[in-house]
This record gives sequence, C-alpha cells and structure tokens, in this order.
Amino acid sequence: MNFTFTQDQLDFQEAIASMLKSEVTADTIRARWSAEAGLDDAFLAQAHELGLNSMLVPEALGGLGLQATDFILLAEACGEVALPEPVVESVMVSTPLLVDILDQGLGNADVQRVIDAVLAGEARVAVGHSINPCINYADSADWFLLADGNSVYLVPRDAVTLDAKKSVDPSRRLFTVSFNPDSQFLVADGDAGASLQRATLNRGALATAAQLVGLSKGMIAQSVQYSSDREQFGKAIGANQAVKHLLADVAVQLEYAKPVTYRAAYTVGVSPTRADFAVSHAKSAAARTALMASRNCIQVHGAMGYTWECDVQIWAKRAWALAREWGDEGFHNNRIHEWLLRKNALLGPEFTFGRGSLTDVA
Amino acid sequence: MKLSFTAADEQFREEVADWLNDNLQGEFAKVRYRGGPGDEHHFVDERKAWERKLAEGRWTCIGWPEEWGGRAASIEQQVIFHEEYARAGGPGRMGHIGDTLTGPTLLAFGSEAQKAKYLPPIRNGEAFWSQGYSEPGAGSDLAAIRTRAVFDEATGQWQITGQKVWTSLAHESDYVFVLARIDRESKRHHGLGFFLVALDQPGVTIRPITQLTGTAEFNEVYFDDAVCSADDIVGAPGDGWKVAMGLLGFERGVSTLGQQMLFQTELDEIVRIAKGNGASRDPDIRQRIAEAHIGLRTMRYNSMRMLSGGEDGSLSREAMIYKLYWSSWHRNLGKLAMDVLGPEAELVEEGPYELNKLQSLFLFTRADTIYGGTNQIQRNLIAERALGMPKEPRGSAK
Repeated sequence: MNFTFTQDQLDFQEAIASMLKSEVTADTIRARWSAEAGLDDAFLAQAHELGLNSMLVPEALGGLGLQATDFILLAEACGEVALPEPVVESVMVSTPLLVDILDQGLGNADVQRVIDAVLAGEARVAVGHSINPCINYADSADWFLLADGNSVYLVPRDAVTLDAKKSVDPSRRLFTVSFNPDSQFLVADGDAGASLQRATLNRGALATAAQLVGLSKGMIAQSVQYSSDREQFGKAIGANQAVKHLLADVAVQLEYAKPVTYRAAYTVGVSPTRADFAVSHAKSAAARTALMASRNCIQVHGAMGYTWECDVQIWAKRAWALAREWGDEGFHNNRIHEWLLRKNALLGPEFTFGRGSLTDVA
Repeated sequence: MKLSFTAADEQFREEVADWLNDNLQGEFAKVRYRGGPGDEHHFVDERKAWERKLAEGRWTCIGWPEEWGGRAASIEQQVIFHEEYARAGGPGRMGHIGDTLTGPTLLAFGSEAQKAKYLPPIRNGEAFWSQGYSEPGAGSDLAAIRTRAVFDEATGQWQITGQKVWTSLAHESDYVFVLARIDRESKRHHGLGFFLVALDQPGVTIRPITQLTGTAEFNEVYFDDAVCSADDIVGAPGDGWKVAMGLLGFERGVSTLGQQMLFQTELDEIVRIAKGNGASRDPDIRQRIAEAHIGLRTMRYNSMRMLSGGEDGSLSREAMIYKLYWSSWHRNLGKLAMDVLGPEAELVEEGPYELNKLQSLFLFTRADTIYGGTNQIQRNLIAERALGMPKEPRGSAK
C-alpha cells in the first residue's frame, strides 16, 4: 500500500499550478465577468498544449493513458485559483464518458470523431445530468452528452436549445439545455445508459470535490496573508488566537478532506460505477470544508470580507455553487447512510481498501 | 416574574396594530416588508415619506419625552411597538439612527440649543442621520481613529478632515455624527470630540461601497475641511469617547424584539418553501428547522429577560451575549434557507445581480457576524467584561 503521490505526479502538479497562478488571477477572473464569451481562449490553448485534454484518454485512443489519481492534484490546483472554465469537468467527466462509450462498444460514428477533436483541442464537450438543473459554460461547448431517462445522447451544438440562467457566482455561465431525444443522437440506453450516468455522477462529484479542496486552500492562503497585514490594537489581527483558530479549524478540515478525495479518485479510476461510497464521502467532506472556509475566511477579512471589491467573494461564491453541483451534502450523506446500513455491509478495517471493499472489482 | 403584558399594554398593542394596518395602504402598500437588512437601498424616497406619515401619527421617537414630541413610552410599550411594526411589515426605518442613537445622545449630553435645533426634524421624519465611527484603520479598534477636528478661531467653526467607512446610508442622510481627534498628541480614547456634521457641504464626499450582494448600503465618507459650527460639538472637547460610549449604551435592545419578528418571518418563509418542494421530508432539514425554531424562542425569552432588568442603561451579562447569539443563529438560518432551496439556491433573477429574498438573506448574514463588533470581539467582551478574565494584551506598535 502506498497512499502518496509519485515525484512525477507532484512535479506535474507544480508545473500546472505555477502556470495557473500566473494566468488565472482575481483580476483576469473579474475581466471574464464582463467579457462576451467569459472564457480565456489563450489559457485554454495553453492547457491543451500541456496535455490536459488527453491525460485520461487511453493510449490506444491516442491519449496519455493516465488515471484519475494522476489528475486529481491538477483538479485541486484549478480550484485553488478559482479557475472559471470547466477544464476539470471536461478532463474528468465528459472525456471519460466518451471513452466509456467507445470501450463498451456503444455509440455511433460521432463518438470517435468527437474524441479525436477533443484530443486535437478542437472541440469542447459538456455533460448534462438530471442531478444538475444547469450546465456551466454550455454556450462554449461544441457537443453535448445529455441524458433522457436511462438513455444517453451525443448531440451537436446546433441541435440543442440553450436558455441562459444567472448564477450567484458571477464566474459561472449557466444554461438549461433542451434537446429532442432523436435516435440519430442516441449512444446508449437501458442498463448500459444507466450505468454510464452513474459513473458520470461519481466523476462529476469527484471533480467538484477536488476543486472544493483547492478553493479552500486558496481562501486560507488569502486569509493568512490578510490577517498578517491588517493591524488593529497595534498588532496584526492574526496575532489574536480568536482569528488564528478560525483558520486553524479550516486547516484541520482541509487536511482531512484531502486523503478522502484522493482515495475517491483511486476508486473512480478503478471502478467508477462502484465508487458511490468513496465519492460521496469525498464530496461531503470537501463541501463541508469549503463552506467552512468561505464562512471563516470572510469573517477573518472583517467588513472588507463582505464587499464586492474583496477577492474572497470569488472563491466563496464558487464554493457555495460547487457544494451543490453533482449532488448537495444531503444527497451524498444519504448515499453514505444507504451504503452503511446495507445488509451485510463490509465495514471492518480489513475492508478499508482490500478484498470485498468497493475498490475491489475482482 | 410575570410573563404577560398588562391590559393597558395590550390595548396599546391594538392601537399600534390598527394604526399600522390603516396606514400601510395605498401609496405605502408597496413598502411593506421592504428596506430591511440587505434591502435597504430600495424605496428610499417612499420610506422617507413613510417616516413623515409615522410622525403624523406620533409613532416616531416614541421613547423620547413628551416635551420633544415623543410618547415617553415604557420599555414594554416600545417592545410592543417594534413587534407590531415588524408583524405589519413596516418598512426598514430610515429614521432609525436619529430616533434611537442621535436623539437619546442629545437628550443625555446635548445643550438646549442642540436639542432645539436637531430633535424636532428627527421627530418629524424630516432629517436623517448616519453614524461616523469606523475608519479604515479603526474597525474593531475604534479608539485608533485618526479623523481630525481643528477649531478655526477666524471663522468660529470646527474643521474636520479624515475618512469614515462602513457608514450606513450616508448617501441618503442629511447628517452624520463624527467621532474625531481634537488633540493631535492625544492617544486612543483621550482627546476626542463628538461632532454633528451636515453632509450636504463642499468638504464632504460620499462614495458607496458595493457589498458581495451587489448592493450598496454603506459608504466611505471623506471629510476635507468639512465644517460645523462651534455649537455642534456634543459635550466638552475631549469628552467624545464618553459621549460615543454612552450612545452605544442607549441601544438597550428594545428593537431586538422587532428584529426577532423579522427572523420569524424569514423562518416561516423557509418552512413554507420546505413544505412546498419536499425538503421538509429530509430528516436533516427537519432537525435544523426545529433547531432554528428553538433558537429563536430562546432568543426571545432572553430578550424579555434582558429588558426586564435595571433601568440604568448599563449592559448586563445577558445583553452582552445577545449579538453573538443572534448573529450566529441568523447565519445558520441563511445556510438552512439555501439548503432548503436545493440546486435553485444558485440561480439568480435575470438583470444586473438581482438576488431573491433568501439569497440576499444568506449573503447578508455573512455580515451579521462582523458588523457592530465581530463574533471574535464579542467573545472577548464576554470573557473580559462579563467573566472578568484577564485582558488580551495590546500590541506595542504605533
């Protein structure tokens, strides 16, 4: 057993994180709020150059053949800078769904074509799921993977209707997406479709969990900085235990949310349809951490914290939105309850990772 | 202990309720339930007109002595007024600061000339006030204020220079009371003055601050040789801190009962939505609704207890815990509201940034635990003043 990341994984994270920190700043995020398309094409091109789009695609299909555990730290890094574009969702949710469809011998000629276009950095694919009322950045997607009942459809942009919705988080560009479930777009139905949707839900929840972990990290860093700079009563406010403890409480939650999220990434990589428990645990822990981080970090910033000008709102509002996307705390806690209270639930220490646990597909 | 109101009080309640019901009609129907926290930027002109309407009915400044147009209302009657006002959906009071802060301060510390000049317009709903305490460098640490007031012998006026911040509704007000440093060499709470300053003058610049709700209730107020007359200092030069702290003591929490009625309205709305969208079937949500209800009841009982106490205006232990308690309760209510709404919690109306009532509640409750003394400062006050624990050391810098 080895619950750590390899040096290669850590190095890759560092490279991506430093690129993100220089390209995605509070100022460039605010600039997106008033821009027509609301996305940074140059940044997306750079992310593609670095290989993000092909990371989780098997080598046989022309990708790098890496696993969710290879990407999870990068997803976290995207959250840490509050990246608005749905890069994590694209790499971790929509592309793997296309791969699943091909793997299972489902779909039509479009699927291969779309994967090739994604690998070439020429197409963006968005995923719809009944648990989310809206799709983020749907206006910049070329293709949509949409669900209707158990069925899954691959629909081109010109065959869907988008209706813009506004989010509390000004960085998010939400749309409800409607389409005519025509058989020419059908890629899977029945049990196969349901299974694809289940895996997609788990990947989506994991993608948000990782970003929530990163968002929490980002908020703590800003708050540590602010509480070190801001003085009252002749000393930095961070010198007061009352202020320290606000951030220490978040740090504890954060460190405990990380291994849970990494474990979920492992499980999703091995068996996305059997990862309910691990993913729900991760989403629940990460959401709780990020909501606490939002609350405490605004508090640490005092009156500045609830102004529009203060950048914490960018992170806090994202956390509030992502905490609900791909299942809110209630949904995921209920999945944990169901799993725990099953007949013959395998709960002993011997089942933490090994045989008989959900990670064991043999 | 007597947990009921007298027959005379109940009759007063009926009088208040009838008057409000008769008058929150016609042109004032639209201000019902508007202008509260997070909504203070709406219907400003209508709410100012409403203050004049209240004044006609003798419902402004009811705690003031009759000599100055008040009713000399008892604590019980003031509680009843606030409860009925909130129940009727009376709009957020534009005259709140004049009524509850400026007025009582002048009555206690002001000269006869100041009372004659400033009290009638407040009482008649014609002059609106704001509060100039906090500064960029003086938030939790109020005694660190740097705004300066200099007496100009030539003109016989005070000249004020500096910056105040988080000044609620300054952009809709006529006056601000300003705590400023008279003696350049003075430290902390010594050498301060308490000034009454007109906002409509060349030396005053007001800039609204946008909150994370996208709305702007409070402001930065810049004073650049702003003036007020020699008669516009309350108390003696150097007594500013005493006056300012006395002012805070007048907020005995009478309006807290009205605030709790607003909380009740919010909780009722949340329960209504939960029943409608099925969230009320979720055991976790049910539990939290019950906790919210219990918390609000507890708050109400404690306020009653607090108001039943001595008349000297000093803060008792039960008053010290109030801010911490309600702000934490209200913050949790905001979170509950979002969880009851589910995925819809994220969606806002089309338009610039139009939050619905519950979203506004959620975001605005983030400020509740900060303004008027953060929860951390409140805990220090409870520990140091109520429990008598050793004081946290101050820094030596500056």
